[in-house]
Amino acid sequence: MPDSKFNFVPRALFFCASLLFLCTMQMAAQATSPGSPAPPVMREITDGYGRTVRVPLNPSRIVSLAPSLTETLYALGVEDRLVGDTDYCDYPPEAQKKPKVGGVINPNLEQIAALHPDLVLMTKEGNQLATVRSLDALGISSYATDAHTIDEIISSTQKLADVLSVSAAGKVLAEDLRRRLAVLQAKLSGVPPKRVLFIVWPEPLISIGKNTFIADALHRAGAVSIVDSSQDWPQVNLEEVARLQPEYLVFAPTHSESGADDFESLANRPGWRILDAVRNRHFASVSDAIVRPAPRIVSVIEDLARQLHPEVFPETPGPEKSTTPTDFPASSHPQPKPLALRFLTSPCSLESPCAR
Amino acid sequence: MRPLTLGRLFLRCGILAVILFVVVVIALKLGAVQVSLYGLGRDLIRVMLRQSSAISTDYGMIVLDIRLPRILLGIVVGASLSVAGTSFQALLRNPLADPYVLGVSSGAAVGAIMALIAENHLSLSPELAGLLTPLCAFVGAAVTIAAVYVLGRREGQIDSGTLLLGGIITASFLNAVIMFLLTVPAGGNLRGAVYWLMGDLSTIPDVKLLGFLFVGFLVAAGVIYTTASDLNLLLAGEKEAMHLGVDVPRVRIVVYIAASILTGLAVSVSGAIGYVGLLVPHVMRLIFGSDHRLLLPVSALGGAIALVIADTLARTVVAPSELPVGAMTAMAGAPLFIYLLRRRLT
Repeated sequence: MPDSKFNFVPRALFFCASLLFLCTMQMAAQATSPGSPAPPVMREITDGYGRTVRVPLNPSRIVSLAPSLTETLYALGVEDRLVGDTDYCDYPPEAQKKPKVGGVINPNLEQIAALHPDLVLMTKEGNQLATVRSLDALGISSYATDAHTIDEIISSTQKLADVLSVSAAGKVLAEDLRRRLAVLQAKLSGVPPKRVLFIVWPEPLISIGKNTFIADALHRAGAVSIVDSSQDWPQVNLEEVARLQPEYLVFAPTHSESGADDFESLANRPGWRILDAVRNRHFASVSDAIVRPAPRIVSVIEDLARQLHPEVFPETPGPEKSTTPTDFPASSHPQPKPLALRFLTSPCSLESPCAR
Repeated sequence: MRPLTLGRLFLRCGILAVILFVVVVIALKLGAVQVSLYGLGRDLIRVMLRQSSAISTDYGMIVLDIRLPRILLGIVVGASLSVAGTSFQALLRNPLADPYVLGVSSGAAVGAIMALIAENHLSLSPELAGLLTPLCAFVGAAVTIAAVYVLGRREGQIDSGTLLLGGIITASFLNAVIMFLLTVPAGGNLRGAVYWLMGDLSTIPDVKLLGFLFVGFLVAAGVIYTTASDLNLLLAGEKEAMHLGVDVPRVRIVVYIAASILTGLAVSVSGAIGYVGLLVPHVMRLIFGSDHRLLLPVSALGGAIALVIADTLARTVVAPSELPVGAMTAMAGAPLFIYLLRRRLT
């Protein structure tokens, strides 16, 4: 290439471009140390990832990255400190009005940073480790919970209460949950557990594995999952289900009314009539709170126990009186219509006010 | 066609560099959190004057700590993918070739998913854990590159047809491995793995990692650029190129390895972002012609522009949620490509 063509304009453009490139690299190099005036009193604790995290002594601006944690914060009565939650945080209904930071797997870091949280809460199961690393890089404290059984849900709730410096409320809540579980266990003692199929997704058929807290919840409700898999969300063969013949199918629809609809659509699928539970219309429908590791799961366990073992529960009284605000009257939700098909559902469902 | 001169080369690259700069400034401005153009300009000048302490922490954190590293990552990944795509299209003499056609991304995905599964069981320090996924992904990519190289040889030399078939078969085998890993052992990290497969720029990259990627890109792209004239002759056919004095086997192996490394680097930090490496080279060829001495640098700049635009759309269209950037690249790129293609035919 002849050198005479190497004129000034392109050379200047090239120089500018390389200068800009170097400047941006320089900015990136400087962008690592976010200045924080007057650091608050911190303490070190171990979280669900097993890492030692530094969290403020009394966190006052909390962002929750999991629906279960949002619920837990409300149950602990610290909702005024919650400054942001995810698109999926729909319970209690007031949680929907909090500023949103995006989804659970892909929260928007800008939005989180703009809310100036002093603590971000997450779950090891639902959130990504990449999010933890990004928050670390930004110098934002994060704390993760990790619960695989009902006992761990209660103890991690209590530990979260300690982290948030509301140990008293946490203790009251945990004791109430444990007492209700003990009452239920006493009632169900001597009753043979029902063999159930928990349906996460019908087509392909996805159920739950034995190491999930849902399996533990079924167990507490006087049921046992016929699926004995070490995977968390195993895909199950209908033939295998037919061989094991579950006594009940358990649905956890996202909308409280559609449990019966779910059952109807399943019963009309080819092959499903091979199941006795389908022919005898043996199914139970519980709130989707059963898939959330939050205090509300105890109410779902009570509800499921009542549906599976109606003989143990006398007709009149509601569930054990709760002394803490675990459940909220679904004020802004319309009451679920009493469906004729939901004959297995007791008059006191989770959503209904008589649960209070 | 006028002959390529250094002036014409720099003029075209300069225009694209200016477009890239404008796109970067717009991308810095847009996002889930509103930032005024005036405030952005003031802060950028402050940064250049090394007065970063004067910037409010809010701006500093959102624009400099979150958006800027992500944009820089988009630039290097986009440039790497489209240079790799251009090279593979020339090497395999196949317009359908893209950086992933020879299985590099599938190999990287196997490595990354294994790392995602393993990191839940290992308690690693955060710095190490942050590097585990890219490292395993790059190892996976490197193993695949070597395996496809062995498969693609015929009588001791790389043969384009055998290489292409070997790569495609390796990719489909590795995809089956990915499906297995996703269904059986992935467990709780399944969603993370799926995001990785779709391509994702949302994790804040480390400054050192970014620097390493830029250096790696410059070296590998520089190596490919040394063969640019040979690639032009290869377009005429391999026999013809050989008669014109091109050392075809050497060019093949140099381009194959350098382009695979570019792909491996890009994929290991961002996942398999589709279409950039396929569309950008074609668009650039339609606009600037197929002289690789010009095509390679403009593809690098074009890929950077395309990916920064796509990523900006991905993080703003449904803010505060995000779309996978791979979906945006295809959605925005395909109509543009069809337009250019039809315009050329009429």
